[in-house]
Amino acid sequence: MTNSIAELEEADVLLITGSNTTTTHPQIGRNILKAVDHGAKLLVIDPRRTDIARQAHIHLALRPGTDIALINAMMRIILDENLADDLFISMRTENFIQLRDFLHRLDLKELAKITEIDLETIRKAACIYARSSKSVICYCLGVTQHTCGTDNVQAVANLAMLTGNVEKKHSGVDPLRGQNNVQGACDMAALPAVLPGYQSLEDPTVRARFQSVWQRELPRKTGRSLTEMTHAGKDGPIKAMFIMGENPALSDPHLNRVEETLINLDFLAVSDIFLTETAQFANVVFPAASFAEKGGTITNSERRVQLCRRAIPPIHNCRPDSEIIMELGHRMGCPGMDFNSDAEIMEEISLLAPIYGGMHYDRLAENHGLQWPCPDRHHPGTEFLHKYYFARGKGQFTITRHQEPSEKATKKFPFTLVTGRGSYHHYHTATMTRNSIRLVREYPQAKLEIHKDDCEKLNIGDGEMVELHSKRGTVQICAQVTDRVKPGTVFSSFHFFEVPINQLTVDVMDPKSKCPEFKVCAVAIKKVHHD
Amino acid sequence: MIDLKELILPKDNLIPLLRKLNKDARLVIPVKNDHGDTLFTEISDLDTTEIDLINQPQASLKPFFLPQQETLAHYSINSNQYCFTAPDAAIDTIFFGVRSCDLTALLYMDLIFSKPSKDATYYDRRNHSLIITLGCNNPFENCFCEATNSGPYLEYGYGLQFIDLGDRYYVSAGRGRGADLLERWSYFFHEVGEEDHKVRYQLFLEARGQFSRNIQLTHACQKLQKETVPDEIWQSLAERCYDCGGCAYVCPTCTCFSVDDKPQSSNTGIRVRSWDACTSDGFTRMAGGHNPVTRDRQALKRRFLHKLKYDFASHGKASCTGCGRCVDICFGGVDITTFIELFTRQQNP
Repeated sequence: MTNSIAELEEADVLLITGSNTTTTHPQIGRNILKAVDHGAKLLVIDPRRTDIARQAHIHLALRPGTDIALINAMMRIILDENLADDLFISMRTENFIQLRDFLHRLDLKELAKITEIDLETIRKAACIYARSSKSVICYCLGVTQHTCGTDNVQAVANLAMLTGNVEKKHSGVDPLRGQNNVQGACDMAALPAVLPGYQSLEDPTVRARFQSVWQRELPRKTGRSLTEMTHAGKDGPIKAMFIMGENPALSDPHLNRVEETLINLDFLAVSDIFLTETAQFANVVFPAASFAEKGGTITNSERRVQLCRRAIPPIHNCRPDSEIIMELGHRMGCPGMDFNSDAEIMEEISLLAPIYGGMHYDRLAENHGLQWPCPDRHHPGTEFLHKYYFARGKGQFTITRHQEPSEKATKKFPFTLVTGRGSYHHYHTATMTRNSIRLVREYPQAKLEIHKDDCEKLNIGDGEMVELHSKRGTVQICAQVTDRVKPGTVFSSFHFFEVPINQLTVDVMDPKSKCPEFKVCAVAIKKVHHD
Repeated sequence: MIDLKELILPKDNLIPLLRKLNKDARLVIPVKNDHGDTLFTEISDLDTTEIDLINQPQASLKPFFLPQQETLAHYSINSNQYCFTAPDAAIDTIFFGVRSCDLTALLYMDLIFSKPSKDATYYDRRNHSLIITLGCNNPFENCFCEATNSGPYLEYGYGLQFIDLGDRYYVSAGRGRGADLLERWSYFFHEVGEEDHKVRYQLFLEARGQFSRNIQLTHACQKLQKETVPDEIWQSLAERCYDCGGCAYVCPTCTCFSVDDKPQSSNTGIRVRSWDACTSDGFTRMAGGHNPVTRDRQALKRRFLHKLKYDFASHGKASCTGCGRCVDICFGGVDITTFIELFTRQQNP
């Protein structure tokens, strides 16, 4: 997030796109609802009529995968209405002329047709967003999990820069991170192309520094992305894997391919707190300690590094992930794997990652942690990003064009399946939440959201089992008659191993981010007849 | 002979008095912990504990009488027969620094757990407890106990009631063991003077004027006896309810629970009672999957009507004590005060 979470409450306009915020980020959802109570305007872009969409002043229920067309239309309207922030554009951005010329060549009616939203509604939303100087955009995986995910984000950034809604308090572009410490994992370079603190693997100065601390030659080549690794197939280049706290055997797209890859590895080790679907493929399983049994830090969406204290000692033979890694490193002959405390690990992070430079444990213990960048001991942390300048200097407008999702509904597969988190009660592949009796009771089984008109056509009643097919697989799932989805679109979650919805999803990826298109695939629905 | 019903305790004598009380009973007092949270805490050392009588304890007394999770019985199966053993008996406990709303809530729980027969574990704890309240001179941000007739000072129900007069406490004794304590430790106290009466009265008036929220609770209760709530109100509340159960968990008068048997071995186990919430979908869902209470409207309806309509009709008093905790916890901003405001503002058609 470029903003802090608390800033959302003071914003005048909130544009939420591809995020079912009240379900997936309840705390942030709370701030958004408070802002609405204080009089802020809420605009929601989502193909589904989610709980947050129901609260919206304008709900832009686009056809899945047409985000760019919608944002381009909004930008064109902003230009036509003379609502662009000319001063911001000239001082802080580049490449505007190209974008402007591109937008002027677009046909608004055509764009509206692509998105299946009424042009007047788009116009209203664009004007509300552009007229305020305290406009915030929050986006989540509904924007990124497309073959054009990177371009979707670029389009969102274009919109924010066009109206100057970036560089100040109460305005910005806020990706909401999906897992409690996914921000921290990225910061620590659980990414293929960077070193901790987003430093380039190719920068000789950076390399030299890391090599002197780690006492090892660093690899020169950029690594592989997650989906490239789990979808390499039978003869993939990777022969052994160590998977920690991730459950690709349920969460990745096109699961048959994942299974093929995992089965054909020479060696698989998995570290997790429960025996997940992935761990069941493993040669070696490390029982890891849960959050309550270990210390460390968790970095949240607003870049806040928060200290966690151990509540109870690890049960039985579980060990914190850090200890597992250290012990493995030690036995594999890696030097420096002898940290005596979590604080000592943080000292090395502060030394090597400039954005964490001032994050020492004694400081994190106060005031609920610090927000990066925090370069030195006396730095108070950073509330919002891009004040005075962007990370790359000037903000660059990049033209983004609508492209159709990789798979279109056809006669044989007439429905569009959208996947995502289904409920407040379960988290991702539910490895943890399905171990809680009460949460299981509250949300006991997978459901397929399907519009009542479609149900009538197919003669499906609420709670009946249906068979869902795509080109790649079949699952049986319980139908939920609803008006949350539009006719022709269906939605389900990936929480339940009995209904591995990702056997259906496509593994076509965004060429840049390598993020798979979880949000669109073509499916057919058939009623299950019990004889 | 001095009147033992009302006495003055100089503040210097508070800790010495608590130390004496601690000799025969467990002491539970609001304490501010290392993370800045104020919670009712069992005191192990009066000298090193930071007693916090300024902030509102985040949780009510409920967990001490109806724990979030408690073992009702241990069971074993011997030759196809179940044998139950009761859990350990409660120990004598004195609660100090309890706010008026939380004691009022406890009196309500006494009623709930007395029917149809007295709940054994609840009443075991209750019979071993003595409550010393502290009148609220400075009501907290979300409080509205004046609207619920449960504060800021109390007239009955307490063992002892303390009112902070600055350098001294004005202490009133309730019936039973409270008065006994005053008599036993009378040498810590002195008589009430004319000035003390005046100061107490003045503080009471000022406290009543300090509520930042004006909640028309009684009006809502009366209106509910005559009118039905329009569906649109339920709808607008339900749409923002996260279904998290937070309101029920922090509520000092919410007593919904579930009972589960948890096997510990092939022939032994425990019967556990844990908090539940009537707003939860699974609380009312039947075995066949049908749910008479739909999430889209009726879950909140059940909770609010129980507190404001049915309890008012049967006891003449709503079972909301105005502690304001649900206001603070609600993610969707659809707590009981939102409902009261929407409903009382609504005009007759």
